Amino acid sequence: MGFGRETWRLALKLIVRQPGRSALTMLGLAIGVGAFIAMVSFGEGARRSVVAQFEVLGTNLIKLQTTNPGINPRARAPMPLSDADVRFIEREATTIAHVLPVARRNAGVAFGGEQRPTWINGVAPGYLSLHAWEIAAGGNFEQTDLDERVKVCLLGKTNVRALFGERDPLGETVTLAGTLPCRVIGVLAEKGFSTNGNDLDDIALVPYTTYNTHLTDRVAYAYVEIEPSSKALLDAARVEVTDIVRRAHGLEGDDPNDFTVSSPSEVIRAADRTARILGTLLAAIAGVSLLVGGIGIMNIQLVSVAERTEEIGVRAAIGASPGQILTQFLVEGLILTLLGTLVGVTLGIGVAMLVAENMGWPRVISPSGVGLSAGFGIAVGLLFGYLPARRAALMDPIHALRRE
Amino acid sequence: MPPVARSPDAPVIETRGLTKVYPNSVGDVPVLAGVDMSIAHGEVVALRGPSGSGKSTLLNILGCLDRPTRGAYVLGGSDVSALTREEQAWVRLHYIGFIFQSFHLLSHATALENVALPLHYARVPRAEAEATARELLARVGLGHRHEHFPSQLSGGERQRVAIARALTGRPPVVLADEPTGALDTKTGAEIMRLLLELRAERSTAIVLVTHDPEVAEYADRQIFMRDGKVVDRAEVADGLRS
Repeated sequence: MGFGRETWRLALKLIVRQPGRSALTMLGLAIGVGAFIAMVSFGEGARRSVVAQFEVLGTNLIKLQTTNPGINPRARAPMPLSDADVRFIEREATTIAHVLPVARRNAGVAFGGEQRPTWINGVAPGYLSLHAWEIAAGGNFEQTDLDERVKVCLLGKTNVRALFGERDPLGETVTLAGTLPCRVIGVLAEKGFSTNGNDLDDIALVPYTTYNTHLTDRVAYAYVEIEPSSKALLDAARVEVTDIVRRAHGLEGDDPNDFTVSSPSEVIRAADRTARILGTLLAAIAGVSLLVGGIGIMNIQLVSVAERTEEIGVRAAIGASPGQILTQFLVEGLILTLLGTLVGVTLGIGVAMLVAENMGWPRVISPSGVGLSAGFGIAVGLLFGYLPARRAALMDPIHALRRE
Repeated sequence: MPPVARSPDAPVIETRGLTKVYPNSVGDVPVLAGVDMSIAHGEVVALRGPSGSGKSTLLNILGCLDRPTRGAYVLGGSDVSALTREEQAWVRLHYIGFIFQSFHLLSHATALENVALPLHYARVPRAEAEATARELLARVGLGHRHEHFPSQLSGGERQRVAIARALTGRPPVVLADEPTGALDTKTGAEIMRLLLELRAERSTAIVLVTHDPEVAEYADRQIFMRDGKVVDRAEVADGLRS
């Protein structure tokens, strides 16, 4: 024990007696390690936050759409998505909880002499909960409204403002597409604009059966939203839906699909990937700062070796062997590295928590990130601590003592 | 490591034809040109001579900080003229104490820690090392200043700490390079008296480099150097005059 433990004790004493220099040496590494932990945590927090936001849009959702026929004149016109398709899916599919057809067209909505163009969507009652859309006043329509093709509607905020101003629209009758009178039974909560600039509140919702009977001469759904029975069945459901619709449309062998089946989870996965790339980038930048921190330790230790030339010479004259001087500087470097890393870990976790708190991100401190940065920090500190220690050990005591 | 015998009959230091040559661009510059000298156990020798006479180089070789180009240096009966750096360090630790003009104490260590340091390198357990250091500090008259840092001590006190440190390992040889050079006359005289007392108690040979003739008078014998050689006193006087 003797010499080893004494060396640690003496090195620790020396570090404590020069708090300024010690703090300065540790600073770079502490900031490097702290930045690394904080940035990894930011990256992970931002990723989870982005994914969570996309999940609000409906992760558990498959969208069935008619393919745009494009400009190829010889291509067969795609078959519209019909009631038969919807019923076929409902009957055949084993992995599906709900099938919600959406018909839509651009048409006028009128009240008391005022008329404006808007989007009219024919939907099922489940449409609102699926899209996390609240009702500001009144209520949703129900299954009986659907079954009996009742002439009722829900209005978006933009239509309410334009047609009713400050008046209460509930119970009033509006005219849709110039021909269909509908009683207003609810007002939708404001959603604002979509990412591509569409006013999401410029809308009127009617039961799709009512829409099919009165607002179109041919049933052709714009898209069908399909909810699998569980999240795990999403991919299976996509395969099944594709298969069922192909059969419903009489497609065989190599016939290309005349519809597309997509799911927002692809968007979420893309967002997740993007956020991961950003996280890696942040970690890479933080890694560089860690390296800079290590170089900082090396520089201060090198300066310290130069400053302490006299001390090294004295120790050598007294009888310290080159090995003992090397050990002393290595131990000092190691203690500073450990302290710096410890401070850095504390700092990094603190900053990460604080930022997560303020940004409303989930607080994620990844143990692997902390372990990695701490390990890397110690490695960098030791690596860059060795060079000055070696220089000290190889110093010629005669010259060391001459320089005053 | 070579075991250096401490036989009391043989001289503690003996050099034969000690030569040191420094190569430079013009050619080889001889700094020591065959120094023969012998110093007995417990003898105090003053090494004198003008600047550039080779005193410092000789002292470095005697202190195992440097190696001669040619010739033999026998310390305590063993030839130590061709040791590795690690071996030199071992010899310094166990056989040589250094005292410098500017004290060279570690500024971030207390008086006690400074004195105990050689024992740390000799791997003596701390309690034992500190007991020895305390004893020595008391002997040099600083029993009450253990926990003081060098900056809190006067010049004379610092040199006393340095003397205590040079003696902790009980070396047979102490090399003192202008030990009174940074002190006033009265303090310098006190330091010299202390050194002579310690020599008498421990039979430590002391090699003293000094410019001050009064300080040199404390020595049992004076050795004069000029142009890398040991010479008569008269020759040095001639050299200084010319």
